[in-house]
Amino acid sequence: MPALLARFLTYARPSRPSNVTVGLGLGSIVIATLLAAVLESETQVPDASGVYLVAVAIVGSVGGTWPAVATALASFLAYDVLFIEPRFSVLIVEPTDWLNLALFLVIAVAVGRLAALGRERAAEANRRAREATDLFDVSRLLATADSTADVAAQIVEKLGHEARLERVWIDLEGAPRERPLADTGTGPRPSPTVVSTLARMPGDEPARWVRAHDPLVRRGPAPHGGGDHDAIRVRIETGGTVYGSIWAIRATGTGPPDPEATRLVSLAADQLALALRRDRLRQEATSVEVARRSDALKSALLDSVSHDLRTPLASIRVTAGNLADPTMALSSDAVREAAETIDTEAQRLDRLVTSVLDLSRIESGALEPDLQVYDLRELVDAATARLRTTLGDRPVTVDLPDDLPLVRVDAVLLDAVLANLLENIGRHTPPGTPLEIRAAPSERGRITLTIEDSGPGVADMHLARLFDKFYRVGGPAEGARRGMGIGLSVVRGMVEALGGTATARRSQRGGLTIELRLPIAPEPPPEANG
Amino acid sequence: MASTSGAHVLLVEDDPTTRRSIVVNLDAHGYHVAEAADVRSAMLSWETSRPDVILLDLGLPDADGSVLIRRVRRDATTPILVLSARNKETDKVTALEAGADDYVTKPFGLPELRARVGALLRRAGGPAADASGSVAVGSVVIDIARREVTVSGHPIELTPREYELLKTMLSQPGRLLTRGRLLRAVWGSAYDSEAHYLHVYVSRLRRKLDAADPTGRASSLIVAEPGIGYRIAEVEPPPI
Repeated sequence: MPALLARFLTYARPSRPSNVTVGLGLGSIVIATLLAAVLESETQVPDASGVYLVAVAIVGSVGGTWPAVATALASFLAYDVLFIEPRFSVLIVEPTDWLNLALFLVIAVAVGRLAALGRERAAEANRRAREATDLFDVSRLLATADSTADVAAQIVEKLGHEARLERVWIDLEGAPRERPLADTGTGPRPSPTVVSTLARMPGDEPARWVRAHDPLVRRGPAPHGGGDHDAIRVRIETGGTVYGSIWAIRATGTGPPDPEATRLVSLAADQLALALRRDRLRQEATSVEVARRSDALKSALLDSVSHDLRTPLASIRVTAGNLADPTMALSSDAVREAAETIDTEAQRLDRLVTSVLDLSRIESGALEPDLQVYDLRELVDAATARLRTTLGDRPVTVDLPDDLPLVRVDAVLLDAVLANLLENIGRHTPPGTPLEIRAAPSERGRITLTIEDSGPGVADMHLARLFDKFYRVGGPAEGARRGMGIGLSVVRGMVEALGGTATARRSQRGGLTIELRLPIAPEPPPEANG
Repeated sequence: MASTSGAHVLLVEDDPTTRRSIVVNLDAHGYHVAEAADVRSAMLSWETSRPDVILLDLGLPDADGSVLIRRVRRDATTPILVLSARNKETDKVTALEAGADDYVTKPFGLPELRARVGALLRRAGGPAADASGSVAVGSVVIDIARREVTVSGHPIELTPREYELLKTMLSQPGRLLTRGRLLRAVWGSAYDSEAHYLHVYVSRLRRKLDAADPTGRASSLIVAEPGIGYRIAEVEPPPI
């Protein structure tokens, strides 16, 4: 019997009972005593000690094992003193009373313990459910985020709250020191004197906290009141690679976190490790792809440059050679014609060089748009006026509504985009082909600028790839004198740098329609002071 | 173009081939051209000969061309035309803010260059306001004394800032006005990087001008120079 008692007492370690529990215990004993007194005096029940068992069961289910045991002992004493002859004394004369009382005590303690067990199991089940929910939340955050960095702040917030930690942060491994990923607190990190690191054990053994004085912290006066805190650290690692650590601060003297908090933090660290590994693999895959595409770009560029840049150069050299040849008796008209050829070819070279430079700026990410508020009409007018010669006798209709919202663009980039599109029309449509430029607000926050021509258009099979680099409608042989197929890829690159999109479709007039969707500027400031 | 023939031009350009071709061409069109290949010799030439117009390449071997612009502006309002490479909007703006009057982008054609030089020399005469205190460009007329603006004879209502902006631009037709210059003139020097004010006001001004004009095209006289600023289109003088 003492062994049994000892066994379940070790299960439930005493903790300081709350005032409510003490009040409940005392109140229930008083009520049980009154009831027992009434029963024994009024109804001639010889032994009403069972009433006390009810009190013990209530206290056990509400307060736990130790209050129940205390209530059982108090009931034992109260019954002895108040109801066993001689009354008002702990003495017991009758041997049957001895036996009854001893049995009562054993039953009371057992009843109390059983009642308390039910309560503890319910509490344990609650804790487990909560822990599972927390872990599920962490995994879901990590699974749905594009990058771990996006959700790290929510995760540290959750850990701090659920594991009752004062301040939680995640540092990523890096040279020469770790760099922060997320932090629930602000300001400088406290410098703790003691750091407990969670040591994972192989197999099913539970992890242990290993205390150590932080070698990084210098002795002496702590700069930020660091002496008030102990830190815990859980490494984020998987497959032998360390990605970083979860750090947390706890008030000094509270000891290592309880098993539930430990489990939560260490499982969160495992989830984070997997997510960080996923991020790293994805990053590596992207840079491999970028390198591959950049190689492809270079070889395509070399192919095009060798042909398309040399053609005008050859023409210029031949024509200049004629002019310089002393044996050629050229009329002044022939000289002028030769000079015009050189000028035309040089302009063509200039356009090609500009496109190649623009493309390389786009490819290298060197475009830094200077976004400002502009009236679209202004930019369209400037571009059409400048390209008047290129467009020749093609009639241009500009239809922009008066109440068109202002756009937020880089004027130089948009001007280059419009110039490219208009030059494209000048090159690929017969003289006299009408074109129309119109604009209207489209979906939320966007204006669609449409440039539509009535030329021969582009076959549907080519439309989807029209903006691809070096894509030439009709193939290289046919397109040899039609530019390098980079004009429209420059258009797309620049429009995207402006935060817009460019699409092509067949026009209802049979020609090509290019649609640019551009961001609308925020409402202009009110006309304060005129 | 009688007013420009015989004018003295200082050409500052370090590339000998380009310099030679420009000299030959301007010479054939009746200009007297002095040459310089760097800022130091350009300064010397400016001190001794005081040309009527300066053509200035910005990328010179010994110093940035804008050094010369600042030196010239200390003493004189001599028109300066900048010869600038493409994709260097910030350089253009810097030179214009330092006091240059206009720019042409390399590679340029000689006819375009001559047209710009001619325009600068014509404008060097003085402000466009006539004796009656009114400025007229195309169908738009500002009566400065009465602070009134009419478009094709119809008066239009402008807010004080819109009026200031229109007046500042119309007083210097043909001249390239940078955003910074317009902002300082109309809003004050604290606003010189608030380009969105300028674009919003120009946009309102255009709508008001067009609404009052029977052809609806009055605002086409305000020409945007993307990334740099605005210019009022020069209207061809009426045939005599």
